Amino acid sequence: MNSETCFHCALPIPSGCNLTVDIEGERRPVCCPGCKAVAELIRDTGLSRYYELRDLPDPGVGRPPEEAAEWSVFDGDDMLAAFTEASGDNREATIYVGGMYCSACSWLIETTMSKQPGIESAEINPITHRLRLTFPAEGASLSAYLARLADLGYQPQPLSPESTARPEVVEQRTALKRLLVASLGMMQVMMFAVGLYAMDYQGIDPDMQHFLRLVSFFVTTPVVFYSAKPFFTSAWRGVVGKKPGMDLPVSIAVGAAYAASVYATFTRGEAVWFDSVTMFVFFLTLGRFLEMRARHRSIDRSAALSSLLPNTATRLDETAHSVVPVSQLRKDDRVLIRAGEPIPADGLLASGSTSVDEALLTGEPRPQAKAVGDELSAGSVNLDGMIEMTVTQTGSDTTLGTISILSERARYARPAFVTLADRIASYIVVALLVVATGVATFWYFADPDRAFVITLSVLVVTCPCALALATPAAFAAAGSRMSQLRLLVTNGNAIEALSRATLAMFDKTGTLTNGMPRITSVLVVDNNFTEMDCRLVAAALEHASTHPLARAFAMQDELPSVTSHEVVVGQGIKGIIDGNEWRIGSAAFVGGAAGPSEEIATHVLLGVDGSVVAWFALEDELRHDAGETLREVRRLGLRTALVSGDNQLAVDEVAAKLEITDAHAECTPEDKLAIIKAAQERGERVVMIGDGINDAPVLAGADTSIAPAHGALLAQTSADVIMLGESLEPMTTAIAMSRKTMRIVRQNLAWAIVYNAVALPLAAAGYVPPWAAAIGMSASSLIVVLNALRLNRFE
Amino acid sequence: MSILYVLIPLALLLLGLAVWAFFWAVGSGQFDDLDTPAMRIVMDDDKKPEADEE
Repeated sequence: MNSETCFHCALPIPSGCNLTVDIEGERRPVCCPGCKAVAELIRDTGLSRYYELRDLPDPGVGRPPEEAAEWSVFDGDDMLAAFTEASGDNREATIYVGGMYCSACSWLIETTMSKQPGIESAEINPITHRLRLTFPAEGASLSAYLARLADLGYQPQPLSPESTARPEVVEQRTALKRLLVASLGMMQVMMFAVGLYAMDYQGIDPDMQHFLRLVSFFVTTPVVFYSAKPFFTSAWRGVVGKKPGMDLPVSIAVGAAYAASVYATFTRGEAVWFDSVTMFVFFLTLGRFLEMRARHRSIDRSAALSSLLPNTATRLDETAHSVVPVSQLRKDDRVLIRAGEPIPADGLLASGSTSVDEALLTGEPRPQAKAVGDELSAGSVNLDGMIEMTVTQTGSDTTLGTISILSERARYARPAFVTLADRIASYIVVALLVVATGVATFWYFADPDRAFVITLSVLVVTCPCALALATPAAFAAAGSRMSQLRLLVTNGNAIEALSRATLAMFDKTGTLTNGMPRITSVLVVDNNFTEMDCRLVAAALEHASTHPLARAFAMQDELPSVTSHEVVVGQGIKGIIDGNEWRIGSAAFVGGAAGPSEEIATHVLLGVDGSVVAWFALEDELRHDAGETLREVRRLGLRTALVSGDNQLAVDEVAAKLEITDAHAECTPEDKLAIIKAAQERGERVVMIGDGINDAPVLAGADTSIAPAHGALLAQTSADVIMLGESLEPMTTAIAMSRKTMRIVRQNLAWAIVYNAVALPLAAAGYVPPWAAAIGMSASSLIVVLNALRLNRFE
Repeated sequence: MSILYVLIPLALLLLGLAVWAFFWAVGSGQFDDLDTPAMRIVMDDDKKPEADEE
């Protein structure tokens, strides 16, 4: 398949397309003029290295560039005020860049933008996808920069300054500061500790010892109260919520060691443990920092949802209409929406009538008719007429905004598996505290001088951090790697369920097939008409229909006009053209024989005044990699099955091509659910692969579910894993990856348990000094995190 | 050894300065991107355009 995919976007090249681009001295095939233009732009600016650096071909890059004219509205003075900030003689704009996926994208964008006339600096944050441009207040044009980004194939969206502070950025900044304070503090205190230890052997001036301890105290204090603050607050939250977490023993150890050291310092006591405290805090902070980074990487590009909204809208004022950025729309504004434009906000249809495509919101692929007074939702597309709308909700208050917030929340929800690990960890914490008290009591009677040190070591060395980190670290790393491999995991339980799946059940339409039927042949039986006549008549009749098959008939040509148009549900359509009654639909409806051939799965008859004129054979093509993917799924040891609402013939044909023996046709969603339940009762673990458009409960009924990412976003939220792009192949990656993830989780858990089993008796027996305990505990956590990060190199 | 009474506080002063500088750098966004700068070093500056500049 590789030789036939686009060099730029990796989508399959349609047959008959001979476009190529010369890059690095070779002719590379591309799939469409859009990709050709983008690839040439990248080459001509000397940035061909983008192709070597990128992780994977970007589905976003290569979309046809948007109209340049759209951007010009961002040049007005009030727009500049709304979307940029003044800084000295320059202005700064923050732009959300939709469609970027890897570091190569950020390199491409930064390099291209910094070469634009007037640009002082261009910095992009690959985590938040925000580009910060600095340019002179005079003489530069924001719209030219936006147009340039759009030319590269990205979807730029200027942000108003107040919306630019992202929680991830704030969290990362704070974590970095805490980490730095802990690391510098640790190094300093360690240096003084070497002095103190050395002088223990060589004899030390008591004043100097006191001074070094005071200095250590001085440096350790911010480490404890600033760097370790999250541990104390989280431990306290655990105590209040009666769910002690792993932060409790950590906090007790840090707090007790610090307090004892402070006491020893000011009473000139025996020993201080400032070095152990700072080291412990440093390693803990480092572990948390790595975990946070893995988590941030896996934050989905749900912000990309907002880039589905148009950038601008046409607002109707008393006298004129003006193009304004969508963010400036207010309730009760009237906006004009032309045919083909996305609807910029929620609102009520004020004048005109049209049909809209709401697939994005409801998963319903059929156009919905709308009349005056009907509700329109942001993000749906106005298909037919020019309409006026009164805005009721804007921005994040719209249905689309709510969905994006919901799916973001789902992504932050913790999978049951992790919650279970947390619960186990909290029992272990309680057990540990009991053991530590036991050890302290024993040593208090056996050797009171060493009781504190040994108890401290027990607390530190057995901290169940590794245990608690084992699962979430692996899941976070797997999620991040999977999103790089074009898989979005919306439900953490999916990874576990997927690793155990034994039966892959596929939906047909839109999953194994492209979901877009085509006319494969036209058989004209009435010699008075040409094939073209038939197609035109059919297109005219089907124009009003919302049946999925109707889309196959759509034509660009001028259509004959139809009167007395009538859609007979489940049968077909009739209408009068030039005085004759034409019918299109099933054989019974049109009044003809069953069909010219039994081989054709789906056919539609066209007739005039009761006699048959033509047969249309329709076919929904298989996805290009369906066969390959099914073989791979079987190689992974899963059985395959097919359930479909389509007729027996169509299902049999697909099943035969894909060698699926277990195929069920003409299923209602209830049938599908029953088939899944029956399989589950046989002991199968079912992964359902379907777009979920009409069968969200079916997806939910399976052990786990995967949905291809075309169109229906709301349907996707009920799927556990979403595949981006046009191919099915990522699902095999998802299965392999989930198995690997569970293997790593098991390794991590095994390691954590073995470590604690060995370390606890040693520490309780008094063989482990606090500093060694801190190293041991930290090393065990770091090993767990690093082991999990191996998932980032999967495949 | 009494020089330590001067040198150590001096070191702490420098430490404080370093922490302050780092906090400022983090606050100004220099550490928001921890991935791309690591790659930038291995990237060539742009190659000469193969076609004429527009």
